[in-house]
Amino acid sequence: MTAAEGSAPALRLRQVSVVYGERRALQGVDLDVPVGEFLALAGPNGSGKSTLLRAALGFLPTSEGSVELFGTPVDRLSVRTRALRVAWVPQTEPLREDAPLLRYVLYGRYAHYGAFGRETEADTRLARTILEEVGLADRAGDGILSLSGGERQRATLARALSQRAPLLLLDEPTTHLDIGHQLDLLSRVRRLVREQRLTVVAALHDLNLAARFADRIVVLARGRRVADGRPADVLSTELLARVWGVDAELRRDGASGLPYLLPRLPRPFAGTVARGRVHVVAGGGSGEPVLRRLVAEGFDVSVGVVPLLDTDAAVAEELALPAALELPFAPIGAEALERLGALLARAEAVVVAPFAVGGGNLANLESLRPVVGRVPVLLLSHPAGQTWDYTGGAGASARAELLAGGAVEVAEPEALIAALRRRLGLGPAPGPGERNELDPQRAGGVEQGQEPRGVPVENNDR
Amino acid sequence: MAAASRERPGRQALLVLALVLGGAGLVVVSLLLLLGGGLLHTPVEIPFRTTFQVLLHQLSGGLLFPNPCAGSPASPARCGTDVFIVWQIYLPEILLALLVGAGLGLSGGALQGIFRNPLADPYLLGISSGGTLGAAAVYVYRVAPGNVDVLLPLCAFAGSAATGLAILAIASGRSVSMETLLLSGVAIAYLLSGILSLVLLQSPLGSEQVSFWLLGGFGLASWQIDAIVFGGVLVLGAPLALFGRELNLLQLGPDVARSAGLDAHRLRLVVLLLASLVTALGVAFAGIIGFVGLVSPHIVRRLLGTDYRLVVPCSAAVGAIFLLAANDAANLAFPATVLPVGIFTAFAGVPFFLLLLFRQRRTDLMGGG
Repeated sequence: MTAAEGSAPALRLRQVSVVYGERRALQGVDLDVPVGEFLALAGPNGSGKSTLLRAALGFLPTSEGSVELFGTPVDRLSVRTRALRVAWVPQTEPLREDAPLLRYVLYGRYAHYGAFGRETEADTRLARTILEEVGLADRAGDGILSLSGGERQRATLARALSQRAPLLLLDEPTTHLDIGHQLDLLSRVRRLVREQRLTVVAALHDLNLAARFADRIVVLARGRRVADGRPADVLSTELLARVWGVDAELRRDGASGLPYLLPRLPRPFAGTVARGRVHVVAGGGSGEPVLRRLVAEGFDVSVGVVPLLDTDAAVAEELALPAALELPFAPIGAEALERLGALLARAEAVVVAPFAVGGGNLANLESLRPVVGRVPVLLLSHPAGQTWDYTGGAGASARAELLAGGAVEVAEPEALIAALRRRLGLGPAPGPGERNELDPQRAGGVEQGQEPRGVPVENNDR
Repeated sequence: MAAASRERPGRQALLVLALVLGGAGLVVVSLLLLLGGGLLHTPVEIPFRTTFQVLLHQLSGGLLFPNPCAGSPASPARCGTDVFIVWQIYLPEILLALLVGAGLGLSGGALQGIFRNPLADPYLLGISSGGTLGAAAVYVYRVAPGNVDVLLPLCAFAGSAATGLAILAIASGRSVSMETLLLSGVAIAYLLSGILSLVLLQSPLGSEQVSFWLLGGFGLASWQIDAIVFGGVLVLGAPLALFGRELNLLQLGPDVARSAGLDAHRLRLVVLLLASLVTALGVAFAGIIGFVGLVSPHIVRRLLGTDYRLVVPCSAAVGAIFLLAANDAANLAFPATVLPVGIFTAFAGVPFFLLLLFRQRRTDLMGGG
């Protein structure tokens, strides 16, 4: 490497386009990766992450543009000199034959001694040091096929590291690993970046892992770079919706302050038929059985007010139900009540789960007062002999008032469903199988998390 | 664990030594078996003692046993014939078996390496069909005037090599995958055997000779031919043994190999070229001898592990020993007839191979990975 190349970025892509037959895998991508950076490449399947890595390895004749490794165009480097600059960890290495781990790691030294050369004592020492770095020193003599999935991926990392190339490319290295091994592998890579001033470009499916470990995230979509920056700047719910078509919540890790995304699951039974909008007032887990049952029956269910972290809140999140939430152990405040009002306004029926009523959540019952005359309100019976009113009578009287106003008490969820169907004019219970059938006429809009796909993505290169 | 335990250096060295000594021993045993005690495939009996004396006389340049016929009960004239048979016929035959076996082992080992497929063998890509067609052209059409003993190997080599080069031309396309190449080879083999059938239909007489030639044998052996084959195996085959490190790396897939600095495309072309030519050489002088190229690398892998630095050269040794042993067996089992050795490589090799495979499977299961 000449002095001029010393200051060049480890990897530089200029207007790189790659075409596979009809499909444009990369379209005019620019990218500079400075030496010593850990860059995460994110993007949905087929967005061009692997193609970009392969272009950087010189595997692809780029249709247009140029790829430079430390200042030299990649196609001007021989296969061997290229290997001295860049090493690659594929998603899974296709191992067909067993070999002792140490020999496998030494394969990475090939570029250093070339054809007909022999590995020296120094090569073996280096391989052993690297095995120590990846925590496999005691397995040096074992066959690679006898290693577990996590160990094997670390072995592949060791094989690539033994190349001693200053740029390391990782293609979805954690895909087949459990969460523990994902963190372990990326922590090791992170440490190498710091200690050995390695430059790393890693295609990572998992945005949260990317945010946790990378200095910078580049997001690709349909072969274009659509976002680029520090994890804190790049990660947003808007990005996830736009690029992945996934509805998510953005949170921050308490300790590190790093952002992480919590995707909301698409609703179970994606093909459920909307049978009517039902709001469930619950709390303390009292709503769980009825919530699941209603969703399974195909009702469009909302929940509230329930405290955050409460079982009912968790169920609402799991089922991706709209919910009015309040902080744990706090009385229901104005904001939550407003949200509850909005949910009640759109409800065609209201179900009151047998929750314990205290001073803090009495408002749940009281806010139903104006609803009783308008839509059916169904109260599930409290289990016999169980104390549920902790308000000194206010709860019981609120409940009695609802019943007097026209609300109906039902004993258990089965009777509740029957009553709801009757009240909403849905006819008898559906037969088996009908529940999952897709009826676009009645489905009432597309499920969240599926619609934004296919929206043209703009190229906001900075 | 199984692979690792097979690759302890001390154990490997011991086994390689055993292989070399076994090979040398087999040569001597073969001579004795072939020539001694009425086990010949010609009705000539040569005493062990004469055989030994001829060998030592020739090998020492006449220093030992200046008269190899000393002590022979046969008349001097008869003994002179014996000397000729031992030195000019049987020893060349044994050496040719060794050389052809070594060539097949080398190309089998290297081809399994580049195809990353344990089913690959030297005849995989239609090289044998090309050779057969060349030989058939000689028998059926008498394509050119001249000595058949010269013409036959020449045409067989031309046919095999031409097929090999055609495959190579296909392989030289950058985007051709090994799967495509393999299938092209199989397709070409079918085409050639179609042409062969057509040719043979026109000449029932030639077809008998061709089918005999097809099964292989060392009847052509002479010091001259041995020298040619030796030179060929040395120049074309031995380099295959030097690609062990490259073949090892290639087992990780062409992309990984490339990322580690190996030009996989070039390696494939070189190996294909060398392996095709070595195989063509064997086909030219010994006909088509199946199974040696397939089984030898497997035997080595079972014994020594998967390191191609050992697999390829040791496949040469195993191939040589295996083919000589098969030839001995053919001669022993049916004395006084010339039985094609190809039949015996199958008879002797297949049960042994299956046993090896099944035993290996069991110990792998029980030994625990």
